[in-house]
This record gives sequence, structure tokens and C-alpha cells, in this order.
Amino acid sequence: MDRQRSWGPGSDGPGDFWPSESGPKDFLVARLADCAGAMNFYLPIAEMSVNVFVFLGMGAAVGFLSGLFGVGGGFLMTPLLIFSGIPAAVAVGTEAAQIVASSVSGAIAQWRRQNVDVKMGVVLLAGGAVGSVVGVQFVKILREAGQFDFVVSLSYVTFLGVVGTLMLIESVNTIRKVRQGQAAPSRRPGQHNWIHGLPLKMRFHRSKLYISAIPPLVIGALVGFLAAIMGVGGGFIMVPAMIYLLRVPTNVVVGTSLFQIVFVTGITTVLHAAQNYTVDVVLALLLMIGGVIGAQFGAVAGERLRGEQLRFLLAALVLLVCLRMAWGLIAEPAELYSITSGVTGGHG
Amino acid sequence: MADIAVYTSQRLLFGLSLLAFAVSLAAGRAIADPKPGIASPPVQTESATLDPAVAAANAEEIEADVSTRSVAITSSFTGIEIIVFGAIANAQPEIADAGDYDIVVILEGASERHITRKKNRIAGIWVNTQAITFDDVPSYYAIYSTKPLDEIADPFTLRQNDIGFERIRMRPVKGWETGITAGGLADFREALVRLKRDERRYIQDEYGVNFVGRSLFRATVDLPANVPVGPLKARVHLFRQGVLLDTFNTVVKLERQGLERVLYVFAFDYPLLYGLFAVLMAVCAGLLASAIVARVRR
Repeated sequence: MDRQRSWGPGSDGPGDFWPSESGPKDFLVARLADCAGAMNFYLPIAEMSVNVFVFLGMGAAVGFLSGLFGVGGGFLMTPLLIFSGIPAAVAVGTEAAQIVASSVSGAIAQWRRQNVDVKMGVVLLAGGAVGSVVGVQFVKILREAGQFDFVVSLSYVTFLGVVGTLMLIESVNTIRKVRQGQAAPSRRPGQHNWIHGLPLKMRFHRSKLYISAIPPLVIGALVGFLAAIMGVGGGFIMVPAMIYLLRVPTNVVVGTSLFQIVFVTGITTVLHAAQNYTVDVVLALLLMIGGVIGAQFGAVAGERLRGEQLRFLLAALVLLVCLRMAWGLIAEPAELYSITSGVTGGHG
Repeated sequence: MADIAVYTSQRLLFGLSLLAFAVSLAAGRAIADPKPGIASPPVQTESATLDPAVAAANAEEIEADVSTRSVAITSSFTGIEIIVFGAIANAQPEIADAGDYDIVVILEGASERHITRKKNRIAGIWVNTQAITFDDVPSYYAIYSTKPLDEIADPFTLRQNDIGFERIRMRPVKGWETGITAGGLADFREALVRLKRDERRYIQDEYGVNFVGRSLFRATVDLPANVPVGPLKARVHLFRQGVLLDTFNTVVKLERQGLERVLYVFAFDYPLLYGLFAVLMAVCAGLLASAIVARVRR
């Protein structure tokens, strides 16, 4: 490390306290860089030495955005970790643990306000557990075949592309209508659709629904599967699916989805750790600390923006991540080859 | 008997000179010139007094050691430099000019299976389509020499002793079904070495071994932050005019210690418990954070 800058009183004579040709700001930046340089930590699972502040900052930035938009942030954090050099499988496994931390307090708050349909949550969770088991196994097979990075990118491009586009269209329409002076239309649930023709009907008292258990099981399984392979909570699939397909009343949607996400990402974390050895607790802790702090500021900032404006910004962000991932698939890579070592199942 | 006595006394002298060398290294002084009496001069006088038959029996040998025999990999490990140093015993006086001797220092990590994959474009998207599995590839390979390897010895001798990146053992065991030709195989081998060099796990410095005086030499070996944990085999080869005279072997231990070791053992030997711990940690972090936020808001 270069520590040749001299500093301190009298180092360069009177009136020249700061090193020559650099102001106090440069000086502080240099000192901070020195401190930051000293804060390297070797991540045991990712097998790389990283700067603590970089990942704290990354956690804080994504935490801010998730607080601002009221989303989990997994779909931002996992790509960011991959872009910063963390192996894709470790990014996915570790992010699952971080989502547990960021959604547990929200889930408990919703529980206290009785906004959780426990029966619905348990059915979704049953599907989610199955999806997670299958997903983690799928990750293992893909890693052995050397196709995991590719499948992660492809999943991100597909899901972020679809969700981002739909969100963008919806928010632009709403913004236009608001400008024209019309009231934003509120969706009226209650109409019967094809879902009501399915067997295995169950009564969900809290949601005031009498529907087949198959759709929640399938949705839960899909979300669990995506949680395992993409390192996301799956709220971006779960919430619209509950509102538009299951017609769950909006007041229990967020609570029930958070309830399911906490348990499914918890299961996913344990499975990733046990099967793929890809959960890095040190990295997870750094992201959690940064994320918690960032989320508080984000939530405050979010109160100043309108819902449709927030959704528009979120849609733009989602599409940006999608495009970045797509670019990685389409552009000719600088290095066509890659190596994996010590693949003898677990560790040597 | 007299021969043995001379031999033993030489050994002793070298032991002493090495000790002095090590002490001066530990003191952190750069040794520009060896002081008379520390290193080779006494030996040379002795070997000069020997009759030719004895001199032939006492062929040149290497005495060497590493500055650190055991490296602790802790959570704050960001890489370390170790010094391989030593001396040439029985350096011949008539050719004692340091230029005549060549030293190659190699540190090698444990052999591992490596898979090299190649991306190809399919429907506009770059996907891994070809892969070759190599067995017995050293996980780490650092090579330092007094001059470029092809000037030190012929390719055959180098190959026999696994000296140089092009001659690193790697046994292709799988992957022919992905349509790889013999020429393609060479590309895969090259790519493996190139990527390992990019990772700084394969390191070469053609002028990395320096002679200090006539027979003392030293090389500074770089162990980067991502050095594979495990014992490293260190070997020092002594060449003169293309002939391998002697090889010295030793081992450098790399061991995880402290928190790094605890986490690693936990994650790999008790993975289920480790996963449960990760979830517990996450739940506690989340609850703690919301408790703190609630208090601050109030």
C-alpha cells in the first residue's frame, strides 16, 4: 500500500498543513481510501478478498431502492453481486439469506396487523417448499454442467423483461390518465374466471375466497423455484398473481406474500448451504447491515413520490437491469474460455 | 575418513552461513554484498585444496529454505510474499562465476480437477458448448528463474522435471464428445494457463531469482489472496550449462486460522447447521434492525 503522503502539523512547514497541491478534500479522500484499503476481508465461500465498504455500500444502495419502491431488492442485488465478480451460485445462495433478513420484520409487522391469511400462506408455502427443493437441485445440476451462469442470465432477462414492460405500460397509462384529470381506475375483484372451475376447493376465510388449492400451490412452487435459481424473494410474481389470478383482497396480499417469502427464502438458504455450499455468511452479513440502513432512508424518500411515479421509476430500473443482463448474453465476450476447479463434489 | 570430515565440516559451514543469511533476512536488511566469512569463500578455499577425485565426489548441491514455512490464512489475509533462499554447495572455483549456475524455483499447489469451458454463439447468444476436464492440474504454480527457461536447459530436460507453464501436467479425461480436435485441445490447455495467470494463481518471473554474491541466491515468491489453501511443494533446481545438477525439495504449509478456519469448517463439514445458522442470523438481524428503527422513530 502506498503510504508515502506525509501529513500532520509541520510536515511541510507552516501554512502548508495539507500535502502540497491538494486541498483538504483530496486529503480526506486519500485518508478514507487508506482506511478502506485496510478493511479487506476474505470471504470464505466466495473465495475472494473483498473490501468491506464496497459491499456495505452496495447493500445500502439496494436497501435504499427497496425501501423507496417497497420491494425486496433481490432482483437488483443478485445481478449486482454477479457483476462485481461474486460467483453466480454464491450470489444466489447468499442473497436468499439476505432476503430473509430484509423481509422478516415486515412480515412480523403485517402479522401483528392481522394482514396475513395464514391458511393461504401455508398453501403457498407448501408449493414454495417443493419449488425450492427442485430449484436447488436444478442449480446443482446446472453448475455441474457449467450452464448455471447462462440460465441465471436468461431467467433474469425473461422475467425482468416481462415484468418491467408490463409495469412500465401500466404506470405510463396511469400517469397519463392522472394528467388528463381522470381518477385512476380501481380494479374490481370478484368476477369468476377459469380458476374457479378447478377441483380441490378450499375455503380461505381471511381472504373471503372459496377456490381450488391448485392455483396457490402452483404459484407458490413457481415462486419457490425462482427464489432458488435467481436469488429473489419472488414478490414481483407473487403479488400480481395473488391480485389478478387468485383475487385475494389487497389488504392481505402484501402480508401473506411476505409470510411466504420469509419461509421460502429461509428454506432455500438452508438447502443452498447444505447442497451447494454457496451461502457466504460474511457477505450476507455485510449486505444485511448495509441494506437495513439504506432501506430506512429509502422509505422516507418514497413517501414524497406518487405511486405511479414510483412504479414508473421501478419499471425503468427493472428494464435497465434486464438490458444489462441481455447485453452480457449477446455481446461477444472478451474471453471465450472459463475454468472451474476442484469440482469433485463439495470440497477437496 | 578424511573426506567425510571435510564433507561434514563443509556442511557445518554451510549451515552456519545459511543461518547468518536467514538472520540477516529476518533483520530486514538487504544483502547487497555478502560479507567475507559469511558465505562461500571458506568453502572455496577448502575445495581448492582438495585433490580432483574428492572434488568430483563433492558435486554441487543446493542448500535452501523458505522464509516462512507455515502461512496462516486468516480473514484479513490479502496475500503475502515469502522468500526462497539458499546457496550452492561445492561451487567449483574455476567456474564459480555466478553466471554459470542457473536456479529455478517452483512452488506448486495440490493437484486438482479443472474444467475448461468454451463459449460459442448459438442463435445470437453466447453459451458454453465445449468443455474439457483435466485431471491433476496444479492449483497454484509459481516459477522463478535466473533467466528465461529455454536458455537454461533443453525442452526435454525441462519436461522431465515439469518446469514451465507449457510443461505443466494436465491429463484430459473427459470432453471429447463435445467435438474437440487435437488442435483444439492445445487451445484449451493454453486457455487454462492464461486464465490461471489472470487469477494470479500461475505466476512466472524469468528473472525472479537473484544471486547475492557468488553462490547465495534468493527469490521473492508472491502468494496472492486467492492462493489455494493446502501444502505447497517447493522445489529448487540447480542447472549448469543445461545440466540439472541438483534438486532441493521442501514444503510450505498454508493453513486457515482464526475466524476464517471456523467458518470454512462450519460451512463444509456441517453444511446443514451452517445453513440454519445463516437463517437464524438473518432473522436476528432483521428483528434487531426493526427494533432499533422503532426506538429511533419514537
